[in-house]
Amino acid sequence: MIGKLTICAAIFALSAAGISQPIKIGCKHFNENYILAEIMAQLLEARGYQVERNFGLGGTLICYQALVNGEIDIYPEYSGTLEQAILKLDEKRSLADLQALLQNTTDLALFDSFGFNNTYALTTRAEFARANNLSTISDLRNQPDLRFGLSYEYLERGDGWGALAQFYGLPQRPLGMEHSLSYQALDEAKIDVMDVYSTDAEILKYNLVLLEDDRHFFPVYLAAPFVRNDLDAAAKAILQQLAGSIDETEMQQLNAEVAIDGKTFAAVADAFLRTRGLKPEDGPRISESQWALLGHRTLVHLKLTSVALLAAMALAIPLGVMVYQLPKISRPVIYFAGLLQTIPSLALLAFMIPLFGIGTRPALVALFLYALLPILRNTFIALYAIDPVLKKVSVGMGLTAWQRLRHIEMPLGVPTILAGIRTSAVILIGTATIAAFIGAGGLGEYIVTGLALNDMELIMRGAIPAAILAIVAELLFELIERLVVPKHLLQQQAQ
Amino acid sequence: METIALKNISKSYQGKPALHQITFSFPSNTTTAVIGPSGSGKSTLLQLINGLLRPDAGDIHVYGQLIDYNGLPNLRRRIGYAVQGTGLFPHLTVAKNITLLAHLQKWEHEKIKRRLQDLMELVDLPQDYAKKYPHQLSGGEQQRVGLCRAMMLNPGIFLLDEPFGSLDPLTRNEIHREFLKLQEVEARTIVLVTHDLREAIKLARQIMILNQGKIEQVGTQKEILKNPASEFVRQFVQLQLEDDISYAGT
Repeated sequence: MIGKLTICAAIFALSAAGISQPIKIGCKHFNENYILAEIMAQLLEARGYQVERNFGLGGTLICYQALVNGEIDIYPEYSGTLEQAILKLDEKRSLADLQALLQNTTDLALFDSFGFNNTYALTTRAEFARANNLSTISDLRNQPDLRFGLSYEYLERGDGWGALAQFYGLPQRPLGMEHSLSYQALDEAKIDVMDVYSTDAEILKYNLVLLEDDRHFFPVYLAAPFVRNDLDAAAKAILQQLAGSIDETEMQQLNAEVAIDGKTFAAVADAFLRTRGLKPEDGPRISESQWALLGHRTLVHLKLTSVALLAAMALAIPLGVMVYQLPKISRPVIYFAGLLQTIPSLALLAFMIPLFGIGTRPALVALFLYALLPILRNTFIALYAIDPVLKKVSVGMGLTAWQRLRHIEMPLGVPTILAGIRTSAVILIGTATIAAFIGAGGLGEYIVTGLALNDMELIMRGAIPAAILAIVAELLFELIERLVVPKHLLQQQAQ
Repeated sequence: METIALKNISKSYQGKPALHQITFSFPSNTTTAVIGPSGSGKSTLLQLINGLLRPDAGDIHVYGQLIDYNGLPNLRRRIGYAVQGTGLFPHLTVAKNITLLAHLQKWEHEKIKRRLQDLMELVDLPQDYAKKYPHQLSGGEQQRVGLCRAMMLNPGIFLLDEPFGSLDPLTRNEIHREFLKLQEVEARTIVLVTHDLREAIKLARQIMILNQGKIEQVGTQKEILKNPASEFVRQFVQLQLEDDISYAGT
């Protein structure tokens, strides 16, 4: 009897804990994935769920691992990506096949599609298509004089142009072009056909039409929520409501609102859910301005760098002092810190994922490790390089080790130690932009998204504030230096 | 009770002997100059007295007690120490340089201020120099600040390691005068390491000549000039004074 009661109590406690746990939603670092994730997040929030956003994760494998490990509960995935990059299947499978396969072999589920297929496609100007009677890829066969401008990547891929041309018997000789320039070229009628993703925002902007893949050459990339089975059943049911709610044109429209009109993901998702009646019309409207978003991201960025920098100072300065007083360990310690510095930042971030998951924590740890060396090395050098006569005198006149450190060695070392902290700060401001790849947020979110979209403006929106932050940090440290270091010591150092 | 007594002291660096079987007691409240060619062990001898170096063999008594190598800071505060160059701390003002030890010893503020003023007066440093930094002072002025610092806690012993070596002759003369004045006002046991016999003759009542880690002779200037104890001393004295003559001639 007592045993049963205990079990009941345990189950009750567990389920209560489950309800209060926020649902963690992730997404990859490109616009469309952000929009879909934001739509799911706001829908769940509108139904009273707590949601934790881990957006902008580095790529498919990082998202997938995070889902498997339970770091996130949901992220938007594409059937073709699941088939090829994750499950590594040899042959094409239908969505239903994939769903069954997942159910039998994993604790994950791919829901029914949002309703659109984001695959490779060929496109041309709408009026040109009308004038030349082009509506399918097969129609291209009879027009050998058409000028094709294809991205280099698409020309090189195994399943790219070569395979497509052979499959459809296309006679044209394509030109390799930088993808972002192709839109312009197509718009100015310098080329007639280019490759795109079927939900690209530019399709609307330049009034293009997709040529139908009438013989089904391209793999299918149906977008759908990818979910852990242990997700709350009611939450699953809510997400199922999104099935079939967005078609290709609508997705192009949503992408364009972000990429071209400059609206935020949150505002776009909010408007979408209202028009579909999935969110109460009278609820608080989300219309975060671009400036507010920039401010928020800058703050996140500053928080990341300053917390990591302070933590690094707290360890590296005492460690530098210790290393100076125990010359035997100086080499191994400094070599080790140097080794950390040589690990490429993206790789270091990747190493952190199995240890600390995704989000702020692993980013802080990685940034902390990066900041150690300059501070540690400069602290050591600052103390080591003090004039030996001064050292001898300070010992000979009767100062204890602590008094020497406190009154002579540290004050004399301050300019060099400050220079080390300054170096670390600037490195961190730069490196923190990469932390967006593992969901730590900050100005890197613009850059990560911009890189994925090949959108220079978006990249600049992150890069310029980051550069300004770095300059401000430099100036700030110069000011601190002037305040705490006597002028003649600075001149001495310069000499 | 002797202020500084060395008994059977030997010291070598990596197998190379620097001092060999030295036994000597420095007379109290008197200046003893230690002189010899470079490598004779004179600087080593000095640094043994304040524990910067430890002898391989032998006993060192300071203020009547065997040196306690676990309590060196306490001993060193009772020994003034000045070196070639000045060893002034560039980040501290003149006043802070001189009074650092007194602050650490928790002297009363008034007492520190009075002692600082007295010392600066004693060595003819203007009082408004207290706020200056060492780099704003001439070499001779820096040297005086160094002496003030060494004297701050009024130690009974002074160890001077070629403190006037880098000064030009004029400034050195001036400092020598200050030095003799100081010794008149506050007499103490001074060990002055120098390579300059003229300086030794001028400042010290007693001169010790070292060569290859051994004492060649100890005596007053008269004894050393009139009765050199060895051929080395005779030649050393001759060489140094010849130098003096040629200097006087120019």
